[in-house]
Amino acid sequence: MSAAIKGPSLTLKAREAISGWLFVSPILTGFMIFFVGPLIAVFYYSTTEWNLLSQQSHFVGIENYVDALTRNDTFWDVLVNSLVFAAGLVPLNMLLALGLALALSRSVRGAVFFRTVFFAPVITSAVAWAIIWTFLLQHESGAVNRALSVIGINGPNWLHEPHWAMASVIFTRVLKTVGLNMILYIAALQSIPRDYTEAARLEGANGWEIFRRITWPLLAPTTLVIMVITVVGSLKVFDHIYLMTGGGPQNATLVLAFYIYEQGFKFFNTGYASALAVILFVLILALTILQTILKAARK
Amino acid sequence: MAKLQLKELRKSYGTVDVIKGVDLTIEDGEFCVFVGPSGCGKSTLLRMIAGLEDITGGTFEINGSRMNDIAPAKRGVALVFQSYALYPHLSVYENIAFGLKVRKTSASEIKTRVGDAVTMLQLEKLTERYPRELSGGQRQRVAIGRAIVGQPQTFLFDEPLSNLDAELRVHMRTQISELHQRLERTMIYVTHDQVEAMTLADKIVLLRDGRIEQVGSPHDLYERPQNLFAAQFMGAPKMNIFTLTGAFETLQESLKLDRNAHYCGIRPGSFEIAQDEKGIFSARVKLKEYLGNSCLIHADVEGHDPIILEQPVNTDIAKDSLIFLNANPRHVHLFASDGNRIQ
Repeated sequence: MSAAIKGPSLTLKAREAISGWLFVSPILTGFMIFFVGPLIAVFYYSTTEWNLLSQQSHFVGIENYVDALTRNDTFWDVLVNSLVFAAGLVPLNMLLALGLALALSRSVRGAVFFRTVFFAPVITSAVAWAIIWTFLLQHESGAVNRALSVIGINGPNWLHEPHWAMASVIFTRVLKTVGLNMILYIAALQSIPRDYTEAARLEGANGWEIFRRITWPLLAPTTLVIMVITVVGSLKVFDHIYLMTGGGPQNATLVLAFYIYEQGFKFFNTGYASALAVILFVLILALTILQTILKAARK
Repeated sequence: MAKLQLKELRKSYGTVDVIKGVDLTIEDGEFCVFVGPSGCGKSTLLRMIAGLEDITGGTFEINGSRMNDIAPAKRGVALVFQSYALYPHLSVYENIAFGLKVRKTSASEIKTRVGDAVTMLQLEKLTERYPRELSGGQRQRVAIGRAIVGQPQTFLFDEPLSNLDAELRVHMRTQISELHQRLERTMIYVTHDQVEAMTLADKIVLLRDGRIEQVGSPHDLYERPQNLFAAQFMGAPKMNIFTLTGAFETLQESLKLDRNAHYCGIRPGSFEIAQDEKGIFSARVKLKEYLGNSCLIHADVEGHDPIILEQPVNTDIAKDSLIFLNANPRHVHLFASDGNRIQ
């Protein structure tokens, strides 16, 4: 009788596990080096007083956090600015995205053209977008004020008056980013079976009732995702502020990400800037966790 | 009460004509089944009756009133969709109550009507569940419940059983039949399944390519098909059709058929295998299929014309054997050269 053929020394499960780890190892290595590493470094730097120029560093514990949260009034102003920016941008962006999606999700003439028009700013350079709007919103020579003057309105100095600067930045940011949310809503709307709305029509529901009782509840998962990415994106806003207002006038548009940049790279308070970055990270993490909880609650 | 009349009804999408002039009357309380092959326009016709598709031409009337431009909700019809179309975010109770809520029915009335529907359809224990937590048959019952509570005069069913397994389909078929008897409302039912059509219908409307091929009772369609299409569509396996030329020219003489007949049709079960080699023609057996209560024999006449016979299950026939066949002339259907029945 011949001897039984010897199989591989490792089990199938073990061999599959090794293959799996080999496949993910490149991205995992990159993730550890370029994401987890800097994250840990920022946490560490936030517990030091470190000047980037002098390269002098010493451990101060939670001093930077205490400083930001209790002694520095600017931090709270900045946080309020960030929240105002988010509170202005998120509802406006989502409402506009939903409205555009409802109008452009149907296969009507011109829908594809207008979808492209509203999505184009998303793929446009943020720098170009901000610079163009900076010109358009010029006080005397800007196209916006010239257009307003035609109908007898004397437009304000949009980017240099504290009240209007924040509104202007929010508005231009909404126009820049609304296309992405519109596409997400269009995808969600098109995935709702036509049978639902037809069944509702047969049962006597009008357009508003179909939206309120059928479409809107079925869009809830998409709305939740859009809300979180828009809130997170609005809290991280930097480029628009940097290019259009530089945080001014009178710190009216000084938001957290820009404040971190100023502290870290203008004033070289690297430790303090790191603490602010950690606070921003925790804020965003809390929102992400909130999303998970809300999703779980829905189920 | 709802008597439906379709007068020269037409539907086009651009230059493509889908419904090409349909004239039909459906009596009050009648169970009418639209049957036909895929793409024949039966679902489109149903959706035109429901108001979900615009009518391109002709008139649709309910009890003599023109309905062409009346909103779906005001036609007094309820539609049970093939997909059931249950709202996934609403419970069974909320799904059934949906139409009543949007029509601003009082809370007590909603409770009574939904309660009655739930009891009738044996859904009492499922009212708090969501559609994703229901089986196919349960979803179907909820969809019917949603139709019932609106107390429509006409029920429309768009292939409602096509997503169910064979056993459940038979069960739900009997439930729909019982529902019709209980409610005594006009029902229009779309299917491509001829068994559903035969078992449920008072009246079958056989459609092909946007036109009606035949209207009649299940018995009429089976026993007196008006043309070759109807003859071959109704009945499984389908009727054998012989062109009375060439190999089958002798049938005219041997069966004493009408001289005007160009085709003759014989259902698989209407053949007898002759024991004495004296048949109207012979065929060579290619395949025998066992069906439990009978068997199907696939054979070729003169090596090329295929025929199917349905015989008792104990028929002893070997593959490649030559069989001689007879048919009772009373069970032979005759058609002229244009394909229409010879009376």
